[in-house]
Amino acid sequence: MRKRGKNRGMESKDINRKSTKKIILVGNPNVGKSVVFNYLTGKYVVVSNYPGTTVEVSHGTTKWRGKNITVLDTPGVNSLLPTSEDEIVTRNILLNEKDALIVQVADAKNLRRSLLISSQLSEMGLPFLLVLNMEDEARERGIKINYQELYSLTDARVISTVATQKKNLEKITEELGDLREATLNISYPPALEEAISQIAEFLPEENISPRSIAIMLLSGDKSLKRWLHARLPESRINEIEAIRRSCQAGFDQPISYLINQVRLEKVDEIVRLVTMIKPIKRKRLSTRIGELSVHPFWGVVILIGVVYLLYQVIGVFGAGVAVDFMEKTVFGEYINPFFMRWTGRLVPMAWLRDLLVGQYGLLTMAMTYAFALILPIITFFFIAFGLMEDSGYLPRLAVMSNKIFRLIGLNGKAILPMILGLGCATMATLTTRILESKRDRIIVTLLLALGVPCSAQMAVIFGMLSGFSPMMVVLWAGVVGLVLAVVGYLAARYLPGESSDFVLELPPIRLPRIGNILIKTLSRIEWYLKEAVPLFALSTFILFIMDKTGILINIEKGASPLIKGVLGLPVETTQAFLIGFLRRDYGAAGLLALARAHTLSAEQILVALVTMTLFVPCLANFLVIVKERGWKIGAAISGFILTVAFTVGGLLNLILKITGFKI
Amino acid sequence: MQFNWGKRKPHCHIRGPFCHREAETRDRAIDELLEFIWNLRENGVSDVADLQREASDPEARNILSYMEQEGLFAREGDKVYLREKGEEKAREIIRRHRLTERLLMEIFELSEEEAEKEACKLEHILSPEVTDSVCTFLGHPPVCPHGKPIPPGKCCTAPEKSVKPLVMPLNDLDPGAEGRIVFISTNFPARLDKLSALGVAPGSIIKVRQKKPSPIIQVGETTVAVDPEIIHDIYVKAV
Ligand SMILES: [Zn+2]
Ligand SMILES: [Zn+2]
Ligand SMILES: [Zn+2]
Repeated sequence: MRKRGKNRGMESKDINRKSTKKIILVGNPNVGKSVVFNYLTGKYVVVSNYPGTTVEVSHGTTKWRGKNITVLDTPGVNSLLPTSEDEIVTRNILLNEKDALIVQVADAKNLRRSLLISSQLSEMGLPFLLVLNMEDEARERGIKINYQELYSLTDARVISTVATQKKNLEKITEELGDLREATLNISYPPALEEAISQIAEFLPEENISPRSIAIMLLSGDKSLKRWLHARLPESRINEIEAIRRSCQAGFDQPISYLINQVRLEKVDEIVRLVTMIKPIKRKRLSTRIGELSVHPFWGVVILIGVVYLLYQVIGVFGAGVAVDFMEKTVFGEYINPFFMRWTGRLVPMAWLRDLLVGQYGLLTMAMTYAFALILPIITFFFIAFGLMEDSGYLPRLAVMSNKIFRLIGLNGKAILPMILGLGCATMATLTTRILESKRDRIIVTLLLALGVPCSAQMAVIFGMLSGFSPMMVVLWAGVVGLVLAVVGYLAARYLPGESSDFVLELPPIRLPRIGNILIKTLSRIEWYLKEAVPLFALSTFILFIMDKTGILINIEKGASPLIKGVLGLPVETTQAFLIGFLRRDYGAAGLLALARAHTLSAEQILVALVTMTLFVPCLANFLVIVKERGWKIGAAISGFILTVAFTVGGLLNLILKITGFKI
Repeated sequence: MQFNWGKRKPHCHIRGPFCHREAETRDRAIDELLEFIWNLRENGVSDVADLQREASDPEARNILSYMEQEGLFAREGDKVYLREKGEEKAREIIRRHRLTERLLMEIFELSEEEAEKEACKLEHILSPEVTDSVCTFLGHPPVCPHGKPIPPGKCCTAPEKSVKPLVMPLNDLDPGAEGRIVFISTNFPARLDKLSALGVAPGSIIKVRQKKPSPIIQVGETTVAVDPEIIHDIYVKAV
């Protein structure tokens, strides 16, 4: 571990002093940071959550001066005065990592926003290397940057790269030995400057300059609260707040906004001096595609096309062909018989054999389930999701759906976790953090748990529905969709708190890089194996215990009046619902078995499927909800969903009975 | 001159008509009474009784009869109505009052109370030219911040091409046309921070790429999808 509390010299840092040095990549979103990161670190990357948050930070290692050093890829930021969880994490990394080598990856065609970050790094007193990436895209747009002039104006070390073609990337490590602080310092109006220096005097010498922290505090940054309380007495903190208040009283606009405006002015001045733009009239194809994808009419056409492709890749190929192969051939013919044979020979105790390879066996049930049924589907889903992400289509999908989500009081960003929810609701629940307000996160978490079927569940559902008329699919989707809309609408209406703004940057449409997508997919699969597989094992184990102790039978008996009376389903389906709590798709699979045995009528299948789709979140999802939102909300959401599922199922049953409707 | 203006909270349409401060001149008092009659009419009442209650002291009564002599308004039974001359005058006062309200509340972000107070002063002194510039600056708004109609002036009916508003909400800019951001009016500081971190701030050249299905704005090489309210809150000057 590195030593703490060492004062940093004002001049330059002794670069060679420590072997635990890190390279930290910072920059705006979509500037090719991950490509640079992959170049530096090669294949092996660890994606982990930043402590105490759900924000992912990637770690890897690279060779520098003959030694292995850690490279950290921080979440993309638009400002180091944080307005989102991502930005808080990046700012905290800069605040806490002493003596790191900082590389700012920036978009050459968007020098303005790049320098906005540079000016903040400079304000923090951190030496950094400015990598102006995507130089080719800038050139295509007729933007020319005078690097010499930029260097002389800012003192920042600058190199220009085209990361996707590996052009000039080797220079990054070469330049790292000679970092220096840029002099992109900005002076603010006198009233602000006075307050800044007053606050800065109270602050301890840290990894980043007291001035920069003072500016954050003056801007009303609440995310520094913990940091502040660990260092200053309460009275000082109150004093700082008093300074901030009296300073703010002198301005009509929020201080943070004023500061940003002054920064922008200064940056604009530099940009004017160092860039030359020769406007290029010709529209590039990618721009045209980008425009069409958000067009009121063509956007919808493209959307339908994309959904159809997704269905083909994930539903037909992933959930059909790939799962069949894994389940029947790989596991059915080789792995499971192998396990059974060897357990039979090596394990004398019957109960242990049962635990491993029985009906609820850890190897036969949990592993088959995790690797043969879910893994293929989720792999194809992650590939498709990565393609949509890297091509820039995903945010455009949010544009297309903004109107619909606004109807239920959310905004278009909610589509992103929802789409991911079609892959795995558990993972999607984690990504609700892209929504800014807590209220929106809770609503989307609720909708995900309530009625967005994950790919595995969807596969089973489509399997069941395929034998019937399309009417069945329409009714199933219609009822579930209606419930989602009504619950979403009511939740948005009655949940306290503010809805978040829809402000979403649209990156240019680009051809995705296959290598990048594979790396991303691999790290997501790794996540799935680490997070979800133990839960499968746990669920199976609980089932095993419940089966052996007879609890399973008793619960079945206890719940059967509800199943029979309210839903009008045979008693045998109880077990499917019970299992459904452990894995929703497990439950659906149980129903599928019953349907195959012709013990259910078409109407019963519809009622059972609707109820099962709306049924309580699976154990894994439930645990993630608890982890993200706390016990109270987790329990409230589950209780609510259980009630809704049975009420809707019961009503549907009643309506079908009364009208005598036959499918 | 002393009037009994009553204790009502001054407001352009909800309750009382009068500005809270005491009128100093007869002209000003006339303005206020005309404004009052106009407001009464908008609320669907025009009883003489109301008018008399508002101008209960002798001084005010004097003015009322003077106004009647001057042919500004007339009584018919227990109803009051504005005559042509009075109608014209009242219309202008109301127009000035409500335009000022809009200017002060939206652009200078004054509180409702402050704006009302200032509007009451300015409604008496703004010249027709300044009024029309304010109207043009605001993009000829049809209603005041309280939703009451602003009587249109000459500037509003002039052919649209010849008098382009100086400053208008980004929403009124044609898709593809460029404007320079003059200010962003919003009550959500977090929104301002987010927008300015993306480079959307006063001084920047901005354009609306499309308005449907969801507005998309562009500043330099930055393209951002936003809520429709946001492009109503960004005021630009066409360039
Ligand atoms: Zn008045
Ligand atoms: Zn008004
Ligand atoms: Zn006008």
